Amino acid sequence: MTPSATLSYLLNYELLGKGVLRVQRWRDERKLRAHHGKPDDPLNPPLVRTARMKELMSRHYLEGRYANGVKKVAWVTSGAPIEVLRALDFVLIYPENHAALCGARKKAVDLSVEAENAGYSRDICSYARTDIGAMLSGRTPVGRLPKPDLLVACTNICQTVLYWYRVLAAHFDVPLIVIDTPFLYQAASDHQVAFVKQQLEEAIPVIERVAGRSLSWRRLRGVAERSKTAAELWLEIMDRARNRPAPMTAFDGFINMGPIVDLRGEPETIVFYRELLAELDARIKKGVGAIKRERKRVLWDNLPIWHQIGHLSRTLGRRGVNVVVSTYTYAWGELAPMMDASRPLDTAARVYLHPILNRSTGDKLRTMEKMVKDFALDGVILHSDRSCKPYSLGQIDQRDRLVHERGVPALLLEADHNDPRAYAVEQGDARLEAFMEMMESAN
Amino acid sequence: MPEPIALPSRREAIARARARGQRVAAVLPIHAPRALLTACNVHSVEVWGPPGVDPEIGASHFQAYTCAIVRNATSFLLAGHLDDHDAVLIPHTCDAMQGMASVLVDFVRPKMPVLTLYLPRGRRASDETYLVAELRRLGRDLTALSGVAPTDEALHAALDREAAADDAVAGLWRDRAGLALSDRAFFTLLRTREFLDAEAFVEVARTAPRGERKQRGIPVMLSGIAPEPMEIFDALDEAGAHVVADDLAGVSRRIYPRVEEPDPFRRLARSLLGAAPDPTLGQPIPERVAMVRRRMEESGARGIVVYNPKFCEPELFYLPLLAKGLAEAGLPLLHVEHEMTESLGAQTRTRIEAFVETLRGAQ
Repeated sequence: MTPSATLSYLLNYELLGKGVLRVQRWRDERKLRAHHGKPDDPLNPPLVRTARMKELMSRHYLEGRYANGVKKVAWVTSGAPIEVLRALDFVLIYPENHAALCGARKKAVDLSVEAENAGYSRDICSYARTDIGAMLSGRTPVGRLPKPDLLVACTNICQTVLYWYRVLAAHFDVPLIVIDTPFLYQAASDHQVAFVKQQLEEAIPVIERVAGRSLSWRRLRGVAERSKTAAELWLEIMDRARNRPAPMTAFDGFINMGPIVDLRGEPETIVFYRELLAELDARIKKGVGAIKRERKRVLWDNLPIWHQIGHLSRTLGRRGVNVVVSTYTYAWGELAPMMDASRPLDTAARVYLHPILNRSTGDKLRTMEKMVKDFALDGVILHSDRSCKPYSLGQIDQRDRLVHERGVPALLLEADHNDPRAYAVEQGDARLEAFMEMMESAN
Repeated sequence: MPEPIALPSRREAIARARARGQRVAAVLPIHAPRALLTACNVHSVEVWGPPGVDPEIGASHFQAYTCAIVRNATSFLLAGHLDDHDAVLIPHTCDAMQGMASVLVDFVRPKMPVLTLYLPRGRRASDETYLVAELRRLGRDLTALSGVAPTDEALHAALDREAAADDAVAGLWRDRAGLALSDRAFFTLLRTREFLDAEAFVEVARTAPRGERKQRGIPVMLSGIAPEPMEIFDALDEAGAHVVADDLAGVSRRIYPRVEEPDPFRRLARSLLGAAPDPTLGQPIPERVAMVRRRMEESGARGIVVYNPKFCEPELFYLPLLAKGLAEAGLPLLHVEHEMTESLGAQTRTRIEAFVETLRGAQ
């Protein structure tokens, strides 16, 4: 810890930053409350609590900006078991979330080009390209990303993160902890769970060495408890979309999922999701839906197309189509019942082995079929994401089964979650139009 | 035209295995425990694509951005070319291979069982413990297929034979200058390891024609997944280059270290975990750069051609830093991506010619 870094951290983050962001949030909330929307807008006014999410995420990146020299920093994958890191006060940076943020702010292409110029192929994941571009150029819409002291990659979302983090490890010359989660073609076996647990046990001394202090198991249990509470709340929030009209869209879910990914285990995350849940309940009570005229309800499979969220929600909304839930956002809540904070490592081994992306293609189909039933859905949009092979491979058969065996209209929409160069808007709109007609004729 | 050499064919290898009473498994890339299959009385025949099939059949299950090995292998299976096999084994090599295994298990459901193997991505105590358990689990699946449980003695013996075959691959490279084979013929011979049992391969290696090496020119190393289509050797020959070393996933990356260990499953696990640094195993990039550089320097290779099917993400992630590390040692790299078809394409040939010309100019 250096005195100048500490001073800068206290001044810019603790004193000024937090205060400015709080004031900004009050302003945003006031604006959102006063927002009645345009008459021709198919969407109802956005959720007011989104302002709170923006404050939390901005604060998170602001702390990261001034963290080097004050706190230890770990860059982690979105599916990484972070509870031990959080219990040891690491500032956690999620490159995937950062890349998504760049995508949503239309900065991803410029950064990807930086990576492509350094030899990284356009055929690798666009999140990775975006972040490698940010790493090489030092450019980011969040001001500055702190250098990591430690990297943690968990393969429960893909093998891509392993290669990507090998690149980061070579660049930053810092330790990389790999938590390797065998893919579950069938139910998890004892040796698979034991493997993940043993890796977590092996990781603790490495993390303690970087942190410069020992893990408090009492603190770890506290973090695990808060992670579970937040995941339960997130699941409740997702499940509110079972109401008709649904009080939120999957696009709202994509936007508000930042804290459950990046700030899991923090008390503020629980407060935020409790407030969001209350706002949704108020909407339900008043019969207010996320879109004005909900006629058809749809499931979204795979990551969002970050650069098209606004366009897609309005294009679909104009036809009365509400994308009420997604397999992607649901993934951060569906495992909450498996969590048991009193046995943090045993639980983590099981939970982090089971994300949807680490389960078989048949299991994903069953998950989608259950969601179609539980949420009373009229169709499924499967985003065939050329940047996310583990999520996308299997979708052709999943779509065929949904259509031919379940009679559920389903569309395979070719795109890329972060690279707009791989998505043709007009062609996509035409396919969505045909899909909406298919849904109309199905009923 | 490459000179003809008498080598056993896949069909002959399968027929011989059948005659010995063995079951036959089609094995997908890359790292598979051949010794375990043998000890369970299962003969392995590898499927690296292959070229020459209609990829559109596989396209009914996999998007166009899926690697050609997965699309072609699925097409090959669906077209009935694996109908005479008793099982398909798909090691977890990458996300694409994972998707293929899962789609076959859940949706395609071929008439033969689909077996899987998850290879851990580290070399820690936990990786070894896990891999031992995973190999035992696979052993049980193979026993269910063949009715033969692997005894410790049988597995040790099979491991000894595989180690001898690995030595034979290394020996062929050591003796390369004294083998009267073009590069294409030499790699055709090396690739018989994909379908021959270990003893048969050792015999093929032992009887490889000796004499004056048939190719001269700029020495290069060949890297990538598999030399498929094998026209790459003709293109290199025509450009005035010859291959003096390889870092192919299907060849030299699978020369495993010899391990002494009383428990044969642990011995097999340690051997697999000791494989040369390979992107699909997620090993550190600096280790991989150092290994490739050392082998290029030892073999006298002046440049490296990395030959990959399109969309091979593990390879693509490692390439920029590999190229940079080698460039620092004055060793240029050419990356050639190709569709797994019969023809190499004029543009690729031109790039290879230009690359070899650059190497010649730097001489």
